[in-house]
Amino acid sequence: MGQYSGSFGKRRIADLVVLLVLGIMAAFYCYDAISASTHIYNLIMVLPLTVLVLGLCIAQFVVAVRSGEPETEPAESVREVVPVMLLFTAYVVSLDWLGFDVGTLLFMGVFLFMQGERRWPWLIGYSIAFAFVLTFFFQQMLPYPMPTLIIEITNPGGSL
Amino acid sequence: MIDVDALISATGMLFSSGTPWLIVVPGILIGLVFGAIPGLQISMAMAIFLPLTLYLDFMQAMLFLTAIFTGGGFGGSIPAILMNIPGTSSAIATAFDGYPMSRQGEHNLALGVALGASCIGVIIGYSILFLLINPISQLVLRIGPAEMAAVILWGITLIGSLSSGSILKGLISGLVGLLVGTIGYSEAGVTRGTFGSPYLLDGVPVIPAMIGMFAASELFRLVTKDYLVEDSAARTVSVRLILTGFRRAISKPWIVLRGSLIGVFVGSVPGVGSSVANLISYMATRRNSPEPHSFGKGNPHGVIASESANSTSEAGSMATLLALGIPGGGATAVMLAAFAMHNITGGPQFIREQTDVVYAIIIANFGQAFLLIGLGLVFIPLLANVIKVPMNYLVPSVLSMAVFGAFGLTGDLSGPLTVLVFSVVGWVFKRYDYSVPAAVIGILLGGMAEDSVVYSYQISGGQWTYLLERPITLVILALLTASLFGSKAIEVLKRRAGR
Repeated sequence: MGQYSGSFGKRRIADLVVLLVLGIMAAFYCYDAISASTHIYNLIMVLPLTVLVLGLCIAQFVVAVRSGEPETEPAESVREVVPVMLLFTAYVVSLDWLGFDVGTLLFMGVFLFMQGERRWPWLIGYSIAFAFVLTFFFQQMLPYPMPTLIIEITNPGGSL
Repeated sequence: MIDVDALISATGMLFSSGTPWLIVVPGILIGLVFGAIPGLQISMAMAIFLPLTLYLDFMQAMLFLTAIFTGGGFGGSIPAILMNIPGTSSAIATAFDGYPMSRQGEHNLALGVALGASCIGVIIGYSILFLLINPISQLVLRIGPAEMAAVILWGITLIGSLSSGSILKGLISGLVGLLVGTIGYSEAGVTRGTFGSPYLLDGVPVIPAMIGMFAASELFRLVTKDYLVEDSAARTVSVRLILTGFRRAISKPWIVLRGSLIGVFVGSVPGVGSSVANLISYMATRRNSPEPHSFGKGNPHGVIASESANSTSEAGSMATLLALGIPGGGATAVMLAAFAMHNITGGPQFIREQTDVVYAIIIANFGQAFLLIGLGLVFIPLLANVIKVPMNYLVPSVLSMAVFGAFGLTGDLSGPLTVLVFSVVGWVFKRYDYSVPAAVIGILLGGMAEDSVVYSYQISGGQWTYLLERPITLVILALLTASLFGSKAIEVLKRRAGR
């Protein structure tokens, strides 16, 4: 197991968990489709695809368990990525209340701060400029209203 | 085969004054910008600017829209190469080798190669269209739902076996993608897999899912990096190197020609064409290469194969549109709307009666390819400066743009939410060596594959022997089997012969 022996077990288990989740999700989707209707038009793709996915998952499971070769560790660590994912989640989920303008401003600002930017004029200036220019641009381009807190255009897409 | 009178008339239309060309340059620039910005789509650009074509005559309108199409076709390769974010589904294979080239500091070369292959591809594609528009349209008429389903399965198999370290994981990714693509209303009139959410009644929003899986997930991985190109000495933008890349593409005429032929013929298949053509071309080039293992690690031949095919698939989809009046995708659907706005119906009659206009559109595309070279050489260095932006600024900026673009595509928050969900899925897939491109193609084509299978079932009355009456389907299925087991079978045969 060589140089990866420290984290090899964890990675192998995580790999199998991902495989298991994919198999369960495929099976659940097929179950949901069968519950909705057993008409052939409803199952003509879903059922054979699910059978294939489950078959391939079992084959991959066997290959993964039997394989003794160490797999390479990914470059990025979970500890560094998860905070960014959480921030991105908060940004997207809060768009309905904060609007695209303020939501984007806060996302940019917090992200830059988290990544070590301490030049406050840069941090604040870039966040404000980026958020408002992007919001204004998309409000002008899109034919439907965007949720915003500050920037308000009464005639979206009106410039075109 | 060529109507000389119509050709002379077409030349007169285009070159008697400079007016038709005035709208081509802004068209290409619009296409380049929309193709190059992750989250914006060529079809979106064409739809936004469609109302302007009301003030143009039909030919000028088509020149303007095809210019956006041409510019966008190449523009999509820029984020694919620089950020591993294919601007369109037809640039997926471009990212396979283009992005590794960028990470190795060969971004100038990769962009030049893509520009060269795209421009030559457009010229070859429209040349084929010019000579063979009628036979191509006849061939397209022979393509029914059974062939469509077979092409989709072939595409998924190809990409699944190509883009992941493990063929099994690649196939699982593609098939799971196909399943996700069938979520929502079925042909039986019931909903599946929606968890009661009204957002999912029409299925998973495909383009936001693609943005999430490709772009956002990659950006999560880049959080730990300081710059896109880590070597500071390589972080330069050089027109000279871009030109070197351009020449590199020209020096590989066989790869370009093969990609162009695949692009034109596969590209003419409605709905599937451009998404699959780049993959087939990539795979064919890899298979014929003396160094197949260098593909996916920054081999410029992979970029040439993909770009030559996706730029010619534009010509293929134009063949279907002009000859049959069938749009092959979002962009040609907008063109069909332009046809309607000018009271014109595409089809055999249109080609017969307005051959000069058809020729003018084709010739104009030759001109667009040359203009694209000039505009690309000016525009690429500006965009390539993205490599000089520190990642702590680039990551949140591109993530925000993806969210805005997704909202623009769906018109509600289902777009941004889809980006979020699929960004996490994409990150997990990449981390555990599942194929993101296969899953994305599956999601893109899942609904269409199901429709094709249902229509085939309806036509055949449930008799599977119907497939035996469809030679094109059988050929595609044979190719599918060969791409899965061909190399293994050859290995076994070689081993036996060796004994």
